Amino acid sequence: MTLPGRDDADAEALLTDRYLESLLIADDRRAADAPADASLDRSVRDAATRLRRNLIRVHPSFRFEERLAGRLSDVARSMRLAPAAGGGGGAVAIRPIDRSIRPDHDPAGFDPLGDPNDDNAARSRPLLIGGALTSAALSIAGAAFVAWRRTRPARSPMARAVRAAHAERLRSRSRVPQRLD
Amino acid sequence: MARPVFGRVSGQGSARTRRGAVTHLDRDRPLVEAAQRDPERFDALYRRYLAQVYSYAYYELGDHHEAEDATERTFLAALSNLHRFEERARPVDGDAASTFRVWLFRIARNVVANQRRQKRRRPTLPLEAAAVVADPLDVEGGAALRDEASEAWRAVGRLPADRRRAIVLRFVEEMSTAEIAGILGRSEGAVRVLIHRALRSVGRDLGRDLGREPCGESR
Repeated sequence: MTLPGRDDADAEALLTDRYLESLLIADDRRAADAPADASLDRSVRDAATRLRRNLIRVHPSFRFEERLAGRLSDVARSMRLAPAAGGGGGAVAIRPIDRSIRPDHDPAGFDPLGDPNDDNAARSRPLLIGGALTSAALSIAGAAFVAWRRTRPARSPMARAVRAAHAERLRSRSRVPQRLD
Repeated sequence: MARPVFGRVSGQGSARTRRGAVTHLDRDRPLVEAAQRDPERFDALYRRYLAQVYSYAYYELGDHHEAEDATERTFLAALSNLHRFEERARPVDGDAASTFRVWLFRIARNVVANQRRQKRRRPTLPLEAAAVVADPLDVEGGAALRDEASEAWRAVGRLPADRRRAIVLRFVEEMSTAEIAGILGRSEGAVRVLIHRALRSVGRDLGRDLGREPCGESR
């Protein structure tokens, strides 16, 4: 079942779309007059003609164009060099400018109507980096503690006794004669 | 300072392209394949679409520097993700159809949306462009043209975001309804209705600005 009102809106929108097609094609052909379509609302026709005339495409400055071309070329070169250096990957490490263009983010693969803030990947990366940093910090702290302990022997009598017994054992081992076969 | 493009830069909006839905054979395929093999060949795609992406960002953000920033981010993202792009332009792809241009503009749309979110401000009108259009030798005519352009831009700037995007993609980028649908993530029918309603609003707005009765009934 279809709603008559909805059908009317769709039909009008279709008419407008066809008019726009003919308007743009007339412009391509450099036709002097805009196409006339009496079945289309005059205000829509006038608005389309006005926008066609006034909404022009603009170009950035040559300086910007060349600067960006240079930067893209540098990035492209590093992408080419990465596999040659044993990287083997297709992606290049570009400083992520924002979350929508991270190298691990496929811009065409997400729902364009979805809320970009719902992306869980944005949170997983700091967690990974945080874990690696914590692990490295613990390793460094452990090494520092061992080094500190070795330079500062314990002062308790029990520890001195253990150390003396250990040293005596090492000395007695070194006095054992070598077997002569 | 932005400068106008006289004539078409890419030829992408030719009548042949516009008549179809999303073109069933991506005209950029040879360039995309070459760039996927050798990233340094991406330059050809960049030159072809620079003005289009910049224009879109400029009309959306209303500021020359922000538009440049968005353009740069778009192309860097496109280059670094190009190996992931897959052409889906066959009839069986239906609503999921996508060409390189659609894919690129989806990136641009996200970059621009993100930039607007970060700035947390309403878009300003790209009045700067009005000075670009005018003929410096025809002061009177130039002023009239500037006024007319400013009115039109004001009317477009007052549209809701989705209608404004659709209008810019249709008139400035000369995209087909199917391409716009792919970029905005809507059906072709929904895009047609968006554009139709946007033109009605603009028509009413321009009628008011000119002090005459707007034509057509309001919806």
